[in-house]
Amino acid sequence: MRWVRPLSAEVGETAAVLGGKAHGLVVLRRLGLPVPPGFVITTEACRAFLRDGRLPDGLDAELAAAIADLEAATNRTLGGAERPLAVSVRSGGGVSMPGMMATVLNLGLTAEATAGLAAETGDGRFARDSRERFQTSFAAAVGDEPVPEDAARQLERAVAAVFSSWDTPRARTYRTLQDIAPDLGTAVTVQAMVFGNRDHHSGTGVAFSRNPSTGEPVPFGEVLFGRQGDDVVSGGLLTRPLHELAGREPTVWAHLLDALDRVESHYRDGCHLEFTFEAGELWLLQVRPGRFAGAAAVRVAVDLADEGVISRHGALRRISPQQLGDARTPRIVAADVLARGIGACPGIAVGRVATTADNAARMAADGPVILVRPQTSPLDMHGLAAAAGVLTARGGPASHAAVVARSLRKPAVVGAADLTVLEGSFQAGGHTVPEGTLITIDGTGGEVVLGTSRIATGATNPHLERLLGWADEVSGGNPDRSETERLTAARAVLL
Amino acid sequence: MTPPESPHSTGTDLLVLHALRCVGFAGLARVAAATGLPEPDAESELIDLARAGLVTHLAGTFGGWGLTEAGRAADAERIAEELEASGARAAVAAAYHDFLVLNPELLDLCTAWQLRPAGPAYDARVLDRLTDFDQRAGVVGAALSAALPRFRRYRVRLTGALARARSGALEYVTDSVESYHAVWFQLHEDLLATLGIPRE
Repeated sequence: MRWVRPLSAEVGETAAVLGGKAHGLVVLRRLGLPVPPGFVITTEACRAFLRDGRLPDGLDAELAAAIADLEAATNRTLGGAERPLAVSVRSGGGVSMPGMMATVLNLGLTAEATAGLAAETGDGRFARDSRERFQTSFAAAVGDEPVPEDAARQLERAVAAVFSSWDTPRARTYRTLQDIAPDLGTAVTVQAMVFGNRDHHSGTGVAFSRNPSTGEPVPFGEVLFGRQGDDVVSGGLLTRPLHELAGREPTVWAHLLDALDRVESHYRDGCHLEFTFEAGELWLLQVRPGRFAGAAAVRVAVDLADEGVISRHGALRRISPQQLGDARTPRIVAADVLARGIGACPGIAVGRVATTADNAARMAADGPVILVRPQTSPLDMHGLAAAAGVLTARGGPASHAAVVARSLRKPAVVGAADLTVLEGSFQAGGHTVPEGTLITIDGTGGEVVLGTSRIATGATNPHLERLLGWADEVSGGNPDRSETERLTAARAVLL
Repeated sequence: MTPPESPHSTGTDLLVLHALRCVGFAGLARVAAATGLPEPDAESELIDLARAGLVTHLAGTFGGWGLTEAGRAADAERIAEELEASGARAAVAAAYHDFLVLNPELLDLCTAWQLRPAGPAYDARVLDRLTDFDQRAGVVGAALSAALPRFRRYRVRLTGALARARSGALEYVTDSVESYHAVWFQLHEDLLATLGIPRE
């Protein structure tokens, strides 16, 4: 095949050809871990599409052959009236461009196939829910055009839409800003769907092999029971701490722990997994090594060196001066987190809750205030100016609220999806928190805590001290310099 | 294309009232900047609106001129009337759709700007992308201005902020109260308010 590769352990090509996502799935396959069967359309096909404005010659035949293989492997039929096959169609370039590229889920659920799925599962609600999700994601990816009732045609349109999404103005701007070459193109991964919304023993989640806030060597993450993959990312639903899997789905939990161990050994780094479980069976959908920041990155590197997984020199090479600086940002040491969002402007703020900008401006005369809003509008600006920090239920790291908080240099947590802001109070984690209540927010890790939290300033970070000790050994330098100078001197020797 | 009859022109009292609806609490200078009115004219309108109970002035560090509840209701009613009377609803709705395509790109740009490594080379790269973005934003701005002339003011303010940033006043990207992001954020609010769409 020229344009298509199976997602199998034998594929030896790089992430530049397969895209980062498919490359990671091939690694998972090699490690003997469960990955839904599928195939990947290479970045070369994307480059041909972008050059010629149409899918390359021969791709349709290769797609048909790859789908036939997938049907044989799953004993299902794409768009079939009996045992229908549904697939996910996801972008994945050699480098990550979060939120910028198209994704289509449950493709192949034509009206006929949906009826087949309902008959097979005896669950009409599940089948309808799945088809709606397909239609929504297809419309978002392809735009204003009717959804074809022919499954093969759906696939062609979805592949073309993913390829096109590489070249939107927003994606071009993002690449310029992030130093990503403009002509790489994206691959497209097509996999048999696994349904986290299938039944009570199904769900979806994300798992870190180590705590991403602290680096502590304990699996950490979130799980959403009875839901499909993108719900965790998009928020707005009640996610549960990952360890609740242990009690509810012990087999899934055991397999997940095993998978986290194996990917860590392979990558020699802390890792992040996206997973779905369907009817009690675990499937892995994505793996990413690294992605730890600040103090967590320092702790992971030092622990891995202590465990003999990497060398001390390797640990020093992994920590940039920027991460060293971030490791000194004060952090909440939270026993009991009330809510968790996305840290949008680093730092800790402690203050009394105000749920309107007017109240924040008024209450600020008597001491620090945290402005808590569903999201922000320009009408909140005077409240933001008066507040010590801001907490919002919606929005991401690139939202108006995040941009404004950073411009005012106020600690900010955005997108705390489980938080509901009411008049005069907010609800989170089963608590109702009235206006005037003292809370603490951490704009690095996104934690929200009732009252004043214990805070780690980084001043007594034992892992950081040890790393700097190793740096001095390498550089032969003395410790009476700034931390950045100590690290930079060692890295100059090693890099 | 210019419509055959002169397009709807918004009265200065509504301009001032609506500026506070989109800007939030603001001092006289910011009301003047948002409306394009000379300060004495803006102040005179503010005083009249205050007498009518539609705006109020709060003292204190975080105070300024702002709408009362009655002012917010009056603005919603008059802006809706204006939209219907001008026949501009379809054009404004179409422009809002195009705005929503541009909005995430501008937020990416602002985020990259705020988290950028120090140095003039990267600054220049972001400003080049912002200039390119602004040309595309100008297409939406022109459509809005043709539909309702009061939207012209946003083009003046956005291109003004960009020009200042490019001439070295870097706070005009995200940090100043008249920064590109601040004006864009207000335009977002104005489109929602004009079309009567609640923020979700």
